[in-house]
Order: sequence, then structure tokens, then C-alpha cells
Amino acid sequence: MKTKIMLTGNKAAAWGARMAGVEYVPAFPITPQTEIIETLAKWFADGTLQGKFTNMDSEHSMFMAAGSAGATGVRVFTASSSQGILHGMESLYTISGWRTPMVIVNVSRALATPITLEPDHNDVMSTRDCGLIQLHAETCQEVFDFILMGYRIAEDPEVCLPVLVNMDGFYLSFTREPVLIPDEEAVRNFLPLYTVTQPVFQASRPMARASAVFGGATYTSFKLQQELASRSAEKCFNQTAQEFEKYFGRLYEPVEAFHLDDAEYVFVMSNSFATKGKSAVMKLRRQGIKAGLLKLRLFRPFPSEAIASALGGHAKVAVIDQNLAPGMGGITYPEIVTSLYDREDRPEKILSVIGGLGGKDIEDQDFMAIIEHLDKPDMQTPLYLYDEGDASGFSRLQQIAKLKEALS
Amino acid sequence: MWRIRIHGRGGQGIKTASQILGSAGFYSGFQAQDFPLYGAERRGAPVIAFTRVSEDPILERGPISSPDIILIGDETLLNDPQSAPLCGAEPSTVVFVNSAQVPEVLSQKFSVTTTNLTDLCFQYLNHRTVYSSALSAVGARLLGNIELECLLRAVEDELIQQGISSQLLQGNLDLAREIFEMIQPVAVSQREEKGLTAKPLVFPSQLPVVDGAPIILDPGNMALRKTGNWRVERPEIDYEKCNNCLICYARCPDGVIGVAPDGRPEIDYDHCKGCLICALECPGHFIHTVKETGTFP
Ligand code: SF4
Ligand code: SF4
Repeated sequence: MKTKIMLTGNKAAAWGARMAGVEYVPAFPITPQTEIIETLAKWFADGTLQGKFTNMDSEHSMFMAAGSAGATGVRVFTASSSQGILHGMESLYTISGWRTPMVIVNVSRALATPITLEPDHNDVMSTRDCGLIQLHAETCQEVFDFILMGYRIAEDPEVCLPVLVNMDGFYLSFTREPVLIPDEEAVRNFLPLYTVTQPVFQASRPMARASAVFGGATYTSFKLQQELASRSAEKCFNQTAQEFEKYFGRLYEPVEAFHLDDAEYVFVMSNSFATKGKSAVMKLRRQGIKAGLLKLRLFRPFPSEAIASALGGHAKVAVIDQNLAPGMGGITYPEIVTSLYDREDRPEKILSVIGGLGGKDIEDQDFMAIIEHLDKPDMQTPLYLYDEGDASGFSRLQQIAKLKEALS
Repeated sequence: MWRIRIHGRGGQGIKTASQILGSAGFYSGFQAQDFPLYGAERRGAPVIAFTRVSEDPILERGPISSPDIILIGDETLLNDPQSAPLCGAEPSTVVFVNSAQVPEVLSQKFSVTTTNLTDLCFQYLNHRTVYSSALSAVGARLLGNIELECLLRAVEDELIQQGISSQLLQGNLDLAREIFEMIQPVAVSQREEKGLTAKPLVFPSQLPVVDGAPIILDPGNMALRKTGNWRVERPEIDYEKCNNCLICYARCPDGVIGVAPDGRPEIDYDHCKGCLICALECPGHFIHTVKETGTFP
């Protein structure tokens, strides 16, 4: 029976894996993701889930185990975050090259140094080039829905790649909101139990999945195959989304347009802070400022066409990156700008904004500051969301770190 | 939308209170959202949790800087700079304090309600001071739009998930009912939306590496962090009987028992977190425990 219950993003992820009927979960804990695997561990232990849950010795072996299990033809789920996903980075490239389907949840948390627990997107951005399909969630419902959709995409014979579903730590992982859990029959109709469409490891049939190649041409051939498979996943996403809507009534486009039609100012955002952006858009509109928002949802493959047609014709665009590539700026900014290069109706101004690092809030007044900045004739890019109070708080901490007496 | 912020300490059920309140709002037909905030710390450290209840979709996330209702589970937090329970309060904000009387600092500025929840919890919950049901009942009643049945269903659902015994669950339900009937609803006025102004941003200036990198040249600055206000109970040494064996000195996990020149153990109350291991370890039981009241200086 379908039910609507209050769930954290983490619990919604566990429910997604449960309803997908996952058969193997290799796990390693890390804040703020641990609640996902704790919940799944409990369900495997009490028989709610049939299959195998294994505690691994690191994320590196965890992703290798996930890939290997995927290569035997079972439905695999795993989750990580931050330093953990970085530790597993080598395995991520490896298993996407194996072309084994699975769903991975990443709970975004900023990277050391300095170390913190709170979110930004440098962790998920670092996996941008691994060959994973990426879906970024704004709400706990999206976390749940994207896991179901993720298996359809990952297991599609034309795709056969791991899908990563991303959510923000704290702002989603520990935030409870109502989530609709559909009944099992509807889920099975949308996502039948896994039937493999490629050769898998079997005791009676020796095979290899990871050959060494030299000379470049063979390597290139395989890599280009991966590229084509990833690009084909956009079509697959759209088909899956339509099927999903048929069963569950929610339609997910690769990007979400929020009050975009007549918008003169557009914020481009992703993940849970998009909610804050939407709220600011509503308030700005009540003040007579025509603002709108474009939310990135499918991040790999990058839906350049969808993004360009959504942003084309709007005067001023601010791409808000909650990540930082030191020496370059925001990571998604150049990708958005590139999408628009060929269009005659490209925006007059595209501003790069860096904010929300390490969980720093982005407030209504920040959005207003972005609007004012976009209106400056000599607008400089990037704009850092950093104010007087941040600077003075920082210098106070410096005093404590350098000399105790300075405080008294 | 109604925004409720709850302050207390690790171990007092503050996060659960925000969840019971969220579920009670959800069961009453509202949109709801709840969210806890705690550092990488432990029992006794300040904890803040948030609940949003709304008729419309909730387009907010994270901490609530300007709440409609503030529930303070532990009055010793009133002037704690880290918890800052009154931060962002406006004259219209409804403040509840778990206390026998209205603390003087508050009465002129805000509309304040108090009840001694600690005594009620002692009575209903087997001498425990876990305020999850009590504070959520206060919040639900102050809001005035949450039905008692929805509150009780939320108490049951959340506490069963935590594996509570049936006897303690009954105590929690009785406690929630009693408080719900005791508290008077307050008209929480919907806030006028303020015009948006731009935050004055600054361009960071480049610093020498000694400041630009997280380098600490003056280690040992933890002393500046007065963790003494994490204490719920205070250990007091009975010097009449203490024989200076210094077992307490050796056992204190935080190293806050020093030795005076005359050989006596001395507790540094600025930093004693109140774990009470010393009281347990003293062979002659010469360390007594006293409940903390009032605010930490
Ligand atoms: S209660 Fe006793 S053991 Fe615990 S921190 Fe205080 S002095 Fe140390
Ligand atoms: S353990 Fe007891 S007797 Fe020994 S020094 Fe401490 S207070 Fe005194």
C-alpha cells in the first residue's frame, strides 16, 4: 500500500534501495551518510531485505566489491560521502569502465583541508569525469525517486553504467520531510527485478572484464564507447522519466525551470539549496523583480541542449557553484557557458558565483546581492558570497590560533 | 508558515522533540519539516533542532534564524553564547522556558511561558530528564492548530522507532497529554515579509600563509572553550572526608581535576563536563552530585 511518511534524505535513500529490491550492499560508514547503511543493515538483519550486506575495510574495496557483484548480475547499491568517495576514486573509474550497472548514493560533504562535516559539492564534482551517470536531488522525494529511476537507467542495455544519486549532507541527509512511498506492485511494474542483458561471471564460465590494452587505439575505442553510452543516457533518462510519470505522477525533466518564462535574472543552482533559491525568487517577484531559477538535475550526461534552450533569451544569468576549483572558480560555470556559446540569444551576462562552501548558508540577502552585482556595468566574475561578518569572525579565530592574550 | 526552534543539550531528547512536533504537524494535515543541528560533540553539549509547519509547500531549509516560537529545554543555556537561544527573536516571538518561574532577563522583552518540565518528567518518566515528549507537547499546544490525537500518535510513532519500553511509552503519552492540557495556546501572528536588501559583500584579502592556512601556533587553546556549561549535574568533593588518594584525579577523562599545593584534589568547574565518573570512582563515595540550576556565568 502506498504511504506518505516523514523521512530524512538518508532514510529516503534506504527506502529507495529497499523498494528497488537490492540484493547486495557493500558498506563503509562516513558522516553524514552512515544512517543509510545502518538502516539497510537492519533490514538485511531482520529479513525485510533478502540478500547480502557486507561491511568492507574501506571505500576503495567497497566500490570494487560493488562493481564485482554487479558483474555477477545482481542488483547492487552502495553509498559514500566526501573523503570516502575520494578514497574510492580509483575504483570508481575502474568499475565504470567495467560497464556494470548499480546505484551509488553520495551524501555531499566538503573536503579537507580544513576538515568539516557540512556540505558542498567538491566531493561529487570530483567524480564528474569518472564515467558515472549523475542525478542531483533537491528533496527527499527526489532522492527516493531517483534511485528507482537510477536502476532503470543503469541497467538499460544501451547504458550499462553506474548511476550516482547526489544529496546534500545535513540540509537533506538529516532533514525530514514527507515522502511518498509507492506500493510494491507499482514499483515492480516500473522497475522489474533485475534481468541481466550482458555476460556475467558464473562459476561454470570463465571470462575477464578488465583487459590491458596498449598503443592507444584500443584504449580510445573503449573510452569512446563509454562516452557514447553516457551520452545515450540522456535519451534513456527522458524515456525513464516519462514511464515514471505514468506510474507515479511526477515528471522529472533533465533540468527544472522555476518561474523562468519572463525572467530577466536567472539563478542556476543544483541540489537542496535550490529550495532556498526558489524562495528568494518568490520574494524578489513580490518586490517586482523578475527573477527565475534553473535547477540542474541530470548532471552527467550534461544536458547542454536543455540548459541552453532554458537559458537562451534571458538577459542576466548567475551560475551559483557550491564548489571551488582554486585558480579557476566554479566548476559548473564553464560547462554552462560552453553550452550557450553557439546561441545567438545567449544571455548578455553570465556571472559565476561561489557560495555555500562547507555548509555556509545562502540567504535571501545573498540573492539580492547577486542581482545588484549583475546590474553593475563593470561586473566582475566570479562573485564570492563572503561578507564583513565572515571576515571579522575569521580574524577573531586567527587571534585565538596565534595568541591567547589577544583575547583578554 | 510557523517556525519553531528548540534548544537543549545532547541527551535531553531535543532532536526527537523536533521530530515529534514535525510528525504531529504532518498528521494534522500540514506540510512539515524538521532538522537537528549538533556539532561533533556529545552528551551535555548544546543542541538545536528546528521544525517548520506550514499550510503551503515549505521553501526553506536548514537553521531557523528568526523563529515564531522558541522552546528552551534547559534554562542554564540562557546566556550560553554557543546556543544563543534568544538569537533572532523578535518582540512577537513566543518564548517557552523549562523553569519554575520566568527568568527576569526575559520577562520585559518577550511573551514568555514557563512550566517546570523537569519535575513533570521526573514524575512520569521514572526520574529521567528527557524532554522529547514534553517539549513537543508544549510546542504543539502553543501553535494551537495541532490536535491532541495527532500529537499522541506522533509521540508513539517516534518513540517506538527508538525502541522504548511499553511502560516508558505510556509515561510519555500521559506526560504529553498532561502538558497539552496545561498549556494555553498563544496566538502566533504570521510575520510580515520584509523587503529584501542586498548583503554587503567584501572581496577577501590575501593573507600570509601563516593566517591563510589553518595553522595554530598557540596550541592548548581549548581552555578558552568553557565546557563547564555542558554539566547537568555538578560533582562536589566533601573535603571533610576526602583522604587525598587522588583516584578521582587519575580517572577524570577530561583532566580537569588538579592537585592543590597541599595535595587536595580540585575540580575546575569552568571545564568539568559533569560526566560524574569521579563520583563513581571515589572509593569512599566522598564526591556528591548536585543538579545545576540557573545560568552559567
Ligand atoms: S564530573 Fe568528575 S570526572 Fe567528569 S569531567 Fe567533571 S570532574 Fe571530571
Ligand atoms: S577519589 Fe575521593 S577520596 Fe580520593 S581524592 Fe578524590 S575525592 Fe578524595
